[in-house]
Amino acid sequence: MPIHDQSYRRYGGNREAPGAAWLVIARFGIKAALSKRLCLWVMLGAWSQFFVRSVIFYLSANFPSMDVLAPSVQTFRQFFEIQWIFVFFVTVYVGSGLIANDRRSNAIQIYLSKPLTRVEYVTGKLGVLVFFLLGVTLLPALALLLVQVMFSASLSFVAENLFLLPAITLYALVQVLLAAFSILALSSLSNSARYAGILYAGVVLFSNAVFRIVQGFTSTTGLAWLSFQANQDQIGDVIFRLPTRFESPWFMSALMIFVVIGLSAWVLERRVRGVEVMT
Amino acid sequence: MTDDVRRQEQPLSGETPPFVQSALRVFDLSLSQMLWSRRTIFMVLVVGGPVIVAFILRALVLFAGDVDAGLLMSGSDLFGLMFWVFYLGIAVPLMGLFYGTALIADEVEDKTITYLFTRPISRGAVLVGKYLAYLVCTGFVVLPSLMIVFFLVTPLLGGSIGAGFPDLLNDLGLLAVGLAVYGAVFALAGAAVKRPLLAGLVFIFGWEPGVLMVPGYMKQFTVRYYMQGLAPHSMPADDSVLGSVLAFLQSAEVIPSTLMSLTGLAVILVGGLGLAIWLVERREYVLEQ
Repeated sequence: MPIHDQSYRRYGGNREAPGAAWLVIARFGIKAALSKRLCLWVMLGAWSQFFVRSVIFYLSANFPSMDVLAPSVQTFRQFFEIQWIFVFFVTVYVGSGLIANDRRSNAIQIYLSKPLTRVEYVTGKLGVLVFFLLGVTLLPALALLLVQVMFSASLSFVAENLFLLPAITLYALVQVLLAAFSILALSSLSNSARYAGILYAGVVLFSNAVFRIVQGFTSTTGLAWLSFQANQDQIGDVIFRLPTRFESPWFMSALMIFVVIGLSAWVLERRVRGVEVMT
Repeated sequence: MTDDVRRQEQPLSGETPPFVQSALRVFDLSLSQMLWSRRTIFMVLVVGGPVIVAFILRALVLFAGDVDAGLLMSGSDLFGLMFWVFYLGIAVPLMGLFYGTALIADEVEDKTITYLFTRPISRGAVLVGKYLAYLVCTGFVVLPSLMIVFFLVTPLLGGSIGAGFPDLLNDLGLLAVGLAVYGAVFALAGAAVKRPLLAGLVFIFGWEPGVLMVPGYMKQFTVRYYMQGLAPHSMPADDSVLGSVLAFLQSAEVIPSTLMSLTGLAVILVGGLGLAIWLVERREYVLEQ
């Protein structure tokens, strides 16, 4: 009897219901990232604003002379605005290698030879990134709201601004999905995580630069939809019921965000394949 | 001359070639690799973007007759803005980051560093050769791009090419210095850190703007501070919340003199590259299986 039978054998494992395999990829991706010490430092750094704002909330709640520091809707809007830089770092750190590293080691073919569809593979990778990005946007923002209630020992702020809960959730999702889809699409275009990361930085910065030049040239902000970042700012203002900061219509920014996500999904559909056909 | 004396004068086949000769060999090899790779697309995008924007702006002014009615900027001001935002703000740091970190990290990622380090040349010469190739490669692409933008944008809306030409020469020199200094800093990051991209991005977007808010000497540990002292165009204002805070905190800030800026940049360049060479000579790179 041969020690290792190399002939055909049927799959002997448990067959999961279709559509659940993405969880395996997501779970292992999250575990792999969390096992690195640097990832924990990046996440901790991303929570630094939460800690600073918590102290400010404490002071404003306990010392009447510090009323000027009391939280408002703008506070939560500004929280997301400053948190942008950490979203950027986490996106590049976690996301740039998600597909590029698999392409480099030809692992996509191995993944797709298992009972796993391309959609499940991409969803799993997306899950990893969404987990970490929500961890630096939605989670600290909601925790901040909770801290406000705890320190003031009153629900009056939340009751007066009940829309904050859905606003925080919706805006965090916009920010996270835009970043996650973009970096995954760029990651699928290359075999190098570093190249994908730098491409992402280039796209974000270049679109902002073009907007700044046009703004300086025309002295209007009517073309804010050109900028990756300005689109998020504009939509954020609408979601948080604040006056919009740019003259361009907000639906144009919403449209651009949908276009970028759609384009990224199309790139992923084209690039994530079990067999690459060379023409 | 006897055969023995002649043999003593000629280097033996197993002898290590001099540092400069080794560096030039690696430079020769790396230059073609850097120029003819798929990654050149990135470089073309970074430096081609401003040229396309300049073309569009020029076409806008030429074909829309009354476009200058609402415009506040002259062509030379616009060129100054484009120089700061596109070149000093994006192209120079990003190219320095991308190519500077790639000098060693690429070889480690591709698992080809073993082949380089087993050659009879010093490890430092490998780094210096690759660094020189990076300088030539990026310089030959970035500098012409800036010149094209200058000639397209400066004559617009009352600007003069003749009056702005000395500034252009200054800008070209500044870009070359910027590429050299950022390249050296990121070569050090590539040699020292396992994840040089994240470290580099944190340096450009976290450390450099962050310490500018801290009063005292901290800002002297940034490249941007010294570049500011050499730029003929004033730095454009940032309208964001962070930008407003920065503008307030820096209202009493003194821009460093030219001599101080040049000295600071030279120290960073020599220190960065020297440390990178020192690290590469001593560090053991363990390749991931």
